[in-house]
Amino acid sequence: MRGIQRTLSSLEGLGILPVAISADTPEESREHLIQKANLSYPILSDGKAEAIRHYDLLLPGAGENGRDIGGTAEFLVDPSGTIRWRSLNENGPEKFLEAARSVQ
Amino acid sequence: MNTKLWNWRLWVGFGVSVLGLLIYVLLLQRTRSIFWGSLALFLVSVALMISGLKRAFGQPQAYRGKVAGPVLAVLGVVVLGVFGWGAYMAAKLFPAALHAPQVGQQAPEFVTVDSKGNSVALAQLLTTSITDSSGVARTPKGVLLVFYRGYW
Repeated sequence: MRGIQRTLSSLEGLGILPVAISADTPEESREHLIQKANLSYPILSDGKAEAIRHYDLLLPGAGENGRDIGGTAEFLVDPSGTIRWRSLNENGPEKFLEAARSVQ
Repeated sequence: MNTKLWNWRLWVGFGVSVLGLLIYVLLLQRTRSIFWGSLALFLVSVALMISGLKRAFGQPQAYRGKVAGPVLAVLGVVVLGVFGWGAYMAAKLFPAALHAPQVGQQAPEFVTVDSKGNSVALAQLLTTSITDSSGVARTPKGVLLVFYRGYW
């Protein structure tokens, strides 16, 4: 998450908008990511894990008090809505940038 | 009177393996890199215990641990076994996303809520023009969806 913040200006320069998605509530995102970690890109809340389910990333009951949460993954989607790159493992920011350059 | 030296490597080695397991169990849900941290601790633990056992049996006149050593070694193996079983169960419970959309496929549409409480759909994100730090608006070339586990 902080890795994306560090490469935010490069990503923006390439015309790529990063957004973070989790089942956290908007309040949790505000507290942990925007206030504490100073992230300035959109942090989206998928409270009912609908997006997480569509992308098959649901970890049922793995959260606090058995909450359903999502796993870690990245997808690069072009303006036509086609997935151009994906990663189901944790990757460093250099991988995002490489993928972002490939859609230019 | 016992003048043999305390065989600290055995005890510290065992302690490190317990620490590795505790860290793994208590912090597993935070990040996957914890697994590698715990694994590193187990390697340190194994190295210490092997060296402790060598001392206990190779120089029994100088070091203690001929009885404690094998007991701690067996317990250490048990701790390692619990760790391995836990990691195996975790891999089973949190399988890789087999049906995640693939490269070349259409990204599934979704609607989420941003940190200010506004609804945000993927279709909107894809047409949002990007304003960089210098204030220049650019045509969007794509959206990077970063799914993360959350802080809860």
